[in-house]
Amino acid sequence: MQFKLKNITSALLASGILLSAQVSLAADPDIETLRKTIEELDQKIRVLERKNEIAAEDAAAKKKETPVVVAGPSGFGIKSPDGQFEYSLKGLIQLDYRHFDKPESSDDGFTARRIRPTFQGTLFGKYDFRFTPEFGETLNNNATSPSSNNSRVIDAYVDARFDPAFKIRAGKFKPFVGLERLQGGGDIKFIERSYVSNNFLPNRGLGASIYGDVLDNKVNYALGIFNGTVDGGEENTRIDTDNDKDYTARIFTTPFKGSDSVLEGLGFGIAGTYTNSATGALPNYRTPSQQLNFFTYTTGTVGDGSRVRVSPQAYYYYGPFGVLAEYARTSQEVRNAADTVHDTLKNDAWQIAASWVLTGEDASFKSVKPKSPFETGKDGWGAWELVARYQENSIDSSAFGTAASGVAARFANPTTSAKEAKTWGIGVNWYLNQWVRLATNYEQTKFDGGAGTFANIRDRDDERILFSRLQFQF
Amino acid sequence: MKNILQHLRSAAVALALAAPLAASAADISLLNVSYDPTRELYQDFNAAFAKYWKAKTGDNVTIKASHGGSGKQGRAIIDGLEADVATLALAYDIDALYEKGKLIPKDWQKRLPHNSSPYTSTIVFLVRKGNPKNIKDWDDIARPGISVITPNPKTSGGARWNYLAAWAYGQRKFNNDESKTRDFIGKILKNVPVLDSGARGSTTTFVERGIGDVLLAWENEAFLAQKELGPDKFEIVVPSLSILAEPPVTVVDKVVNKRGTRAVAEAYLQYLYTEEGQEIAAKNYYRPTLESVAKKYEKNFPKLNLVTVDSEFGGWQKAQKTHFSDGGTFDQIYLK
Repeated sequence: MQFKLKNITSALLASGILLSAQVSLAADPDIETLRKTIEELDQKIRVLERKNEIAAEDAAAKKKETPVVVAGPSGFGIKSPDGQFEYSLKGLIQLDYRHFDKPESSDDGFTARRIRPTFQGTLFGKYDFRFTPEFGETLNNNATSPSSNNSRVIDAYVDARFDPAFKIRAGKFKPFVGLERLQGGGDIKFIERSYVSNNFLPNRGLGASIYGDVLDNKVNYALGIFNGTVDGGEENTRIDTDNDKDYTARIFTTPFKGSDSVLEGLGFGIAGTYTNSATGALPNYRTPSQQLNFFTYTTGTVGDGSRVRVSPQAYYYYGPFGVLAEYARTSQEVRNAADTVHDTLKNDAWQIAASWVLTGEDASFKSVKPKSPFETGKDGWGAWELVARYQENSIDSSAFGTAASGVAARFANPTTSAKEAKTWGIGVNWYLNQWVRLATNYEQTKFDGGAGTFANIRDRDDERILFSRLQFQF
Repeated sequence: MKNILQHLRSAAVALALAAPLAASAADISLLNVSYDPTRELYQDFNAAFAKYWKAKTGDNVTIKASHGGSGKQGRAIIDGLEADVATLALAYDIDALYEKGKLIPKDWQKRLPHNSSPYTSTIVFLVRKGNPKNIKDWDDIARPGISVITPNPKTSGGARWNYLAAWAYGQRKFNNDESKTRDFIGKILKNVPVLDSGARGSTTTFVERGIGDVLLAWENEAFLAQKELGPDKFEIVVPSLSILAEPPVTVVDKVVNKRGTRAVAEAYLQYLYTEEGQEIAAKNYYRPTLESVAKKYEKNFPKLNLVTVDSEFGGWQKAQKTHFSDGGTFDQIYLK
């Protein structure tokens, strides 16, 4: 309307119809009044336009100074206009129903597997921090009971990003070692991680790492030093109880990253840890349900010397298909309770897991983001993914006492601890949208030994589990 | 392997050859944070200084300039904008660098001649050709139906000079009857349809957007508008009384100490006082303080009765508190 009026006014003024002194009608008082009115209107319109212009300039200037508040699909947070300071709130909630077909003695029921609010941010554009408490279930390899419910800090660290090739992380965090372990708790394809992650490679450590991406971001390296923890263990935040440290190293490459090659989604590498501990604690090895131990060292058996872990690892993603494979081997020097027998035990585990996104989304190391989120009354069905996995966990046969030598002469009792666990599992993930996921897994495990008597060592009962999960992640 | 060694040897030779050159010519950058209408002045001055500095020291100096409402620019420096030098519209905005940021010493104004104001200016009226509303003095801009363009004193140094000039006129006209002066200022402010944040914005409003009958402008800005758009479009009206505007300059000590640019920053400001610096100021319609240059250009600047902030208002600190701080006379009158 403003423009229309202005155009008419301008046209009249330009044509001189109203303003020209030569027009005889100019002397007419009515015309003069009309001319003044039009001039006044013209000024009013110009003022309004200028005010709008100034308001737009002010808004643009304010935008540059006003912190950006985000509340949307990418989460909740606030950041400074120059992006140098940022703070965001994230969360992961996993509610499980766990059914044991076998062993029948195990209890079915609900559990809150992970309840993790995460507070993270950036200071001065290069210092990141992350703080995550855990209010869900506690799994601990060196606990008498593998499952408990102790609220604790699971992540608390600071990153200094001096350069893409040189970063430092310090605090309590996932050591750069296990491939599947480095996947986010909300991104893993199965309800529980494999033996490699849960029984061998460190879960969380307290220490520091230098790490970075080099060679056009195709090679990632990491070196770290930690207080150290047992296989699959999570360090607490207390002061270290010995002077022995865990040293970690990892190199992982994605040589075809950014290319058109069918191998674009290929990544592989190797990681390891080393420590030399005089009186190191030893782990228990859990079944896939994470609620039972299938292997425990006899009381008094401790680590006595070096512990070396090696883990080659790889993944490959192509279109909707994905494969992740990982192996871990621990060479652990031990001694028995009486300090009469010393040995180096070589335990290992491996897994190969495959995934297929039925609805056409690309598979990746991260969670699947559905193309068409599920909404009642609409066409979208979210993303559906099938998963399958095979994994094994083997214990060095020299760990076990025999009928002839007796349990005390070695480090484990073959009538209560199995030598081997072999597990296959299948599952389906339904990603309703990028935040909500329903998952169901069936896993079946056969054990070698672990029951009976010395005279008649039997296989421990199979474990058959049907787990379901409702997950919220933002 | 042989190739690598050859490359290394070539690189070493190149470095050895380049080293004396690198040592003899440093690249220095300065940031001058200034107020709105000084764009053209410092564009000319920066080029001249860079040439002067190169000839004197062999160093290459690049001067970046930032312009905006004076108060806003001062706040930006306090908030962390790394200005090597501040060349603002009035002393109060530079005082704030000491008061609120401790970026400069308290007695900064004593470091350079003329209270650190290398050039001065004043406030005049810019009207449309033929002066159709017959505006001759401050009384005329308080008349009903006159549209007056001036920026916001809260953000613009120029606007504060405008306001104080009008106030000084009112006080004289009404024999220091403050209540009548307030009414007078109120009538002027009532005639203001748009408050821009800076003097350059107001010039845009008046000149380019065609709004208003009169622009209260820095003298240099009025001359510049007339020069750029032609005397056939605008006329300058000199009121019977105005105010001596003394835009001051300073090195921002904390910044130059941190950046190691003190020597060049001080030389930059001192160069404003040289004959060449003063010539550039005069050519950009700022009144020079160097007598020889002032005499040379005296015909360009009309003579008028000028009051000063110190004599009329007791200095900038007092003037700011009385008139422009929150709840001051401007707020009382404008928000009434």
